[in-house]
Amino acid sequence: MTTTVSPPETSSTPAAARPAKTSTAKVPFKHRVSRFDSKASPYLYIAPFFVLFGLIGLFPLVYTFVVSLNDWDLLTGPGEWVGFQNYTDELTDPYFWNSLFNTVSIFLLSCIPQLLAAVFIAAVLDQNIRAKTFWRMSVLIPYVVTPVAVAIIFSSAFSEKYGLINNILEALNVDPVMWKTETFPSHVAIATMVNWRWTGYNALILLAAMQSVPRDIHESAALDGAGAFRRFFSITLPSIRPTMIFVIITATIGGLQIFTEPKLFNPSSSVLGGPHREYQTTVLYLWDMAFNRSDFGKASAIAWLLFIIIVAFGLMNFLISRRIASVETRTSKKRTGRKLTEHNAEKAEGARAVVAAAGEKRS
Amino acid sequence: MKLSRRTTAVAAVAGVAAIALLATGCSSSGDSGSGSSDEKVELTVTTFGTMGLDDLYKQYEEENPNVTIKATNIDTGGNALTDWKTKQAAGAGLPDVQAVEEGWLGQVQAVSDSFTDLTEYGANDIKDRWVDWKLKQGTDKDGRIIGYGTDIGPEGLCYNSKLFEAAGLPGDREAVAELFGGDDATWDDFFKVGEQYKAATGKAFYDQSGFVWNAMVNQLPEGYYTSDGELNVEDNADLKAQWDKLAGGAAAGLSSGQAQWDWGKGKAFTDGSFATFMCPGWMLGVVKGQVESAGGDATSGWDFADVFPGGPANWGGTFLTVPTTSKHPKEAAALAAYLTDAKSAVAAFQAAGTFPSVIEAQTDPGVTGESDLTKFFNNAPIGEILGSRAEGVVAQYKGPNDSVIQEQVFGPATQSLDKGASGDDAWNEALTTLQSLDLK
Repeated sequence: MTTTVSPPETSSTPAAARPAKTSTAKVPFKHRVSRFDSKASPYLYIAPFFVLFGLIGLFPLVYTFVVSLNDWDLLTGPGEWVGFQNYTDELTDPYFWNSLFNTVSIFLLSCIPQLLAAVFIAAVLDQNIRAKTFWRMSVLIPYVVTPVAVAIIFSSAFSEKYGLINNILEALNVDPVMWKTETFPSHVAIATMVNWRWTGYNALILLAAMQSVPRDIHESAALDGAGAFRRFFSITLPSIRPTMIFVIITATIGGLQIFTEPKLFNPSSSVLGGPHREYQTTVLYLWDMAFNRSDFGKASAIAWLLFIIIVAFGLMNFLISRRIASVETRTSKKRTGRKLTEHNAEKAEGARAVVAAAGEKRS
Repeated sequence: MKLSRRTTAVAAVAGVAAIALLATGCSSSGDSGSGSSDEKVELTVTTFGTMGLDDLYKQYEEENPNVTIKATNIDTGGNALTDWKTKQAAGAGLPDVQAVEEGWLGQVQAVSDSFTDLTEYGANDIKDRWVDWKLKQGTDKDGRIIGYGTDIGPEGLCYNSKLFEAAGLPGDREAVAELFGGDDATWDDFFKVGEQYKAATGKAFYDQSGFVWNAMVNQLPEGYYTSDGELNVEDNADLKAQWDKLAGGAAAGLSSGQAQWDWGKGKAFTDGSFATFMCPGWMLGVVKGQVESAGGDATSGWDFADVFPGGPANWGGTFLTVPTTSKHPKEAAALAAYLTDAKSAVAAFQAAGTFPSVIEAQTDPGVTGESDLTKFFNNAPIGEILGSRAEGVVAQYKGPNDSVIQEQVFGPATQSLDKGASGDDAWNEALTTLQSLDLK
């Protein structure tokens, strides 16, 4: 094989010496293709994402911005160019601030109890219990049910005059709660829907994080006499911090965009989000502005303001998570350093005293 | 395993191909335009609520074998409005025949040039069909007829004869009409009887203030807008006078403060929460449905009286329009004309209780005779009563934001009344909301 191929090659090199200049300009088509391939194909591989993003992400974003600078009616189309008038109008509109307040309030009411419950459930599931898979799947079931069904069931249970919950309260001689027409009760009711749906999901993610915590740390801590609570707070919680941050960020983005639950909470209400906008969230307000009040310009301005707010939240979360990540690398460096010294110490015979001293120093 | 995955892939490809074929098939038939009458035409129709047209589609297809009708019915008028607005704004996706509700007429008229002028397709030949105010509502400011009327909503009074008798009031329908003042019934009479009822039973008289307010506004010569199209709420003395009466009724505890369109899934209609109810024709079917969903039947005592406080009032009613985006305007207009002729109007009334706007149909035995609905309402001659309630109705000008004001400004304000706010406070609340919403 090699003998048949190599002779013509060696013989042709002097002959081809002269036209070498032209041959470099005339790189064989195959080579050019392969060079193009190696240079361009990475871009081609990632192109679908960017093309799609440009089409359904970037273009609408820019178009929405253009719309937000116009007095734009849903039906009659673009009107006058008004610059940032829509933004200043919205920033002085009490309904906009009301919707932001509602969003943040519902977000806090759902996020905090939900995370506490999720951590607790995950910690319980992390123990050695029987029928593990059954329990783990069970907590996910609420997540599988569509939010529309959840909203319909809960809105019936929270009905003011004939609802299950108020009937029980009345049976207990407690005054019925105005779940659909008062601010705080309605926020609690909607947060309940959100919690019911998302707690199990977050619990499973946290459970996965907890299971990746090395068991030997737990064991050595247990040998050192740390109780279950001490181990949970000193080992488990710090180890799952990055996952916690992830859960908090997704909960924040989801919470700021909450729509289905308040939209369907009282579908017969004449005003979206309660008679006096008690639980009108920002996305609901945006929807109302676009499709009931037909003001596309202002609706687009609201969309952009919401976008900016979410980006601000995202940046805040990014900074926090970066700090936590650096804390994490610092601790892991410490940990490997410790392990290395241990290893070296073990190698060096008769140096156990050094390890003990290092261990004492550290603790 | 491998085999099955491959077959699903093949099936998926085949499915995509079939859809593509279907799509091209559709577009090619769409491109063929409105040529000769034997060409195959597919007409799309969008309606909402219960309009009782389903059987008529089948009949029309039998009579016109070249036409196939693809009908979509949206559950409520509100959702249908969103659907229409979205598609209108996008400029695509509108059906060949679009049902339009009276409440959105203001918005429809603002873009009336995107609806086909039906006079080009024979509207002038059939325009004597409808009561004149209905025809006028469906005509835009340039005199183009853009909508054929289906039903109208003349309002009568639903009342519960058992509750009336228990309170020492007459239960008989004529006597009840007399009790409220017969042809000269006023809102003052209505609230006075309500106070008697409240004194006798301690219970509320009507379900909630919203529907009463709706009737009060609709029967005024001018509502939230002047006839010239100017927003006129704050200085509208007639409006404020009606509001004060409504506030008086709510203060006397006559409103049961129910959630409208909910009524505890109908329970409020059967547990004696209230004894009267504002009933346009199409509402009769709603009442029957609510009572039945709460497990009640004709023995629940609901009846229908030929009287309405403050004179004739109309609430709702629908038009069939042909958007200009339709590729078959001629066929669509013919279908709309068919669906609104006297025979169809009678059939729709029998199916859904929608009182016809077609004059000839109003006196048809099919409308005035017996039906499931008349049996439910203690054999009340519903068709006759509605016919008499329709007399003297005047079409009110509906401005572009009429429905928004009704729902977002006065919806919360009437609920405040039901929760015990004073009339002036609730009125000021409405004015503040109106200002915040920045409506024109």
